[in-house]
Amino acid sequence: MNIFLHELRAYRKFTMTWTLSLMAVAILFFAMFPSISRQAEEFKQIIESYPETLRVALGLSIENIGSILGFYSYIFIYISVVGAVQAMNLGISIISKEVREKTADFLLTKPVTRSKIMTSKLLAALTSLVVTNVLFLGTATAMALLVETKPFSITVFLLLSLSLFFIQLIFLALGILLSVLIIKIRSVLSISLGTVFGLFFIGALAATTKDDLLRYLSPFKYFNFSYIIQHSGYESSSLTVAVCFIILSIVTSYLIYSRKDIHTV
Amino acid sequence: MNVVEINHLTKYYGKKRGIIDVNFNVEEKEIFGFIGPNGAGKSTTLRTILGLIYPTGGSAKIFGKDSIQYGPEIKKQIGYLPSEVFYYDKMRVKDLLKYAASFYQKDCRKRIRELAEIMDLDLDKRIDDLSFGNKKKVGIVQGLLHEPKLIILDEPTGGLDPLMQQKFFELLQEENKRGATILLSSHILGEVQRLCDRVAIIKEGKIVELQRISSLQERAYKKIKIQVPEDLDSNYFQIDGVSNVEVKQNIISFMYKGNVNAIMKKISEIKIVNIWIEEPDLEEIFLHYYERGA
Repeated sequence: MNIFLHELRAYRKFTMTWTLSLMAVAILFFAMFPSISRQAEEFKQIIESYPETLRVALGLSIENIGSILGFYSYIFIYISVVGAVQAMNLGISIISKEVREKTADFLLTKPVTRSKIMTSKLLAALTSLVVTNVLFLGTATAMALLVETKPFSITVFLLLSLSLFFIQLIFLALGILLSVLIIKIRSVLSISLGTVFGLFFIGALAATTKDDLLRYLSPFKYFNFSYIIQHSGYESSSLTVAVCFIILSIVTSYLIYSRKDIHTV
Repeated sequence: MNVVEINHLTKYYGKKRGIIDVNFNVEEKEIFGFIGPNGAGKSTTLRTILGLIYPTGGSAKIFGKDSIQYGPEIKKQIGYLPSEVFYYDKMRVKDLLKYAASFYQKDCRKRIRELAEIMDLDLDKRIDDLSFGNKKKVGIVQGLLHEPKLIILDEPTGGLDPLMQQKFFELLQEENKRGATILLSSHILGEVQRLCDRVAIIKEGKIVELQRISSLQERAYKKIKIQVPEDLDSNYFQIDGVSNVEVKQNIISFMYKGNVNAIMKKISEIKIVNIWIEEPDLEEIFLHYYERGA
């Protein structure tokens, strides 16, 4: 419990900064909705003038841009990228910061098992992400209700929003896995930005080539918005892959971390 | 009873040598020194005992229990001071010590205050505002606040001024009297000589000697310098055990190893003005081990 609280306190500023950024992005985008929805026809024309490959790659669906759900799935691309970077940063940091800031000796000579350290840190990171998601969800829902005059499915809206949490969990797990695999991490941000954008472009590539295997490589494509809007639920195959990946990465990280040598600085 | 038992402990970093077949025991209430130059394997040994790194071969037992298997349980009774201390920079000293204390199921507040007073440490400062020496003090308080039964120190005095070093040694001796066993590594021989009962000398990953400090000094050479009133035949002191005879006007100096009575008898047979008999310091003994294999 003491490690959990200490970690939570250590992430406080980080959590607040990223949460406020995500909320600001949501507010900004939703504020644009009324004017976009009024000029939906013109927007469709602009988007239609884009090459089709680009449209598919970016996941722009022309038909729905005028409705709040269509619009949301469009802006959500950016929100999910921001959220992914946040989660990945967190994942890479929780274990590697002890090595980088040279505090591993302090922590690991205390009477605690390494798996307990990992569990406490993992729970603190999860708490941080839950805080982000609750505040984001509240803001997004409030903004959507504020700007959309027509009725829309709240269930679908929540499902879309919750996919942020799932994407973040995937990137958190990936970050933790990388942090126990790489011996020395100098810059967290360069690794997380590189990985997030790399996977994002793989996702874009998967969309244009319609390659199903490639699609599973990019967590951004696990939550297909047209599917969610049509079925009011997640695609089970993607969800399975996501859950399996998360469990596998976390278990592997535990195993590696508990046998890892902590070198002198 | 042995508090620390190290059996054939070996550690390779990939193909690089860490330590090879290290064996020694530390008895209860003993102050045990572990000396050798940088890179000889002192830290590797201590870090393996603490479970920070895992051995390639062999094992270490602390309080009779395997140091890896029972790591967390054993560590309740261990206080550790690393050679370079680093803590969460943004925390205040007070909060860091409170965090450290939270790992032990006891109230350490009183001891923290006592230790901070002895070491003259400001509890309200932020860690990143502290000088290197003051960070070291945080390390000391942090390592002792739970009144451990085994204190492990890796190069403990680096960064402390002589006055603080003195206070710290007194503190360690007090802990020792209270019943704590102490294992410390150092490349500064003076501190080992002052504190320890026994030493292990490590060289290139292997223990080359394990001795009581006293017998290490006994067995070693004495430096004898004699001032005589008139010129003396430089061959006068050519007996067994004498070496490096040097004559400068009426001062003769030489090294002697052997029965002290024999040399004293020889000295008493001549008229002398003055005499200096010096114990060699550990440094000189130590150099001897290092030259032998070089």
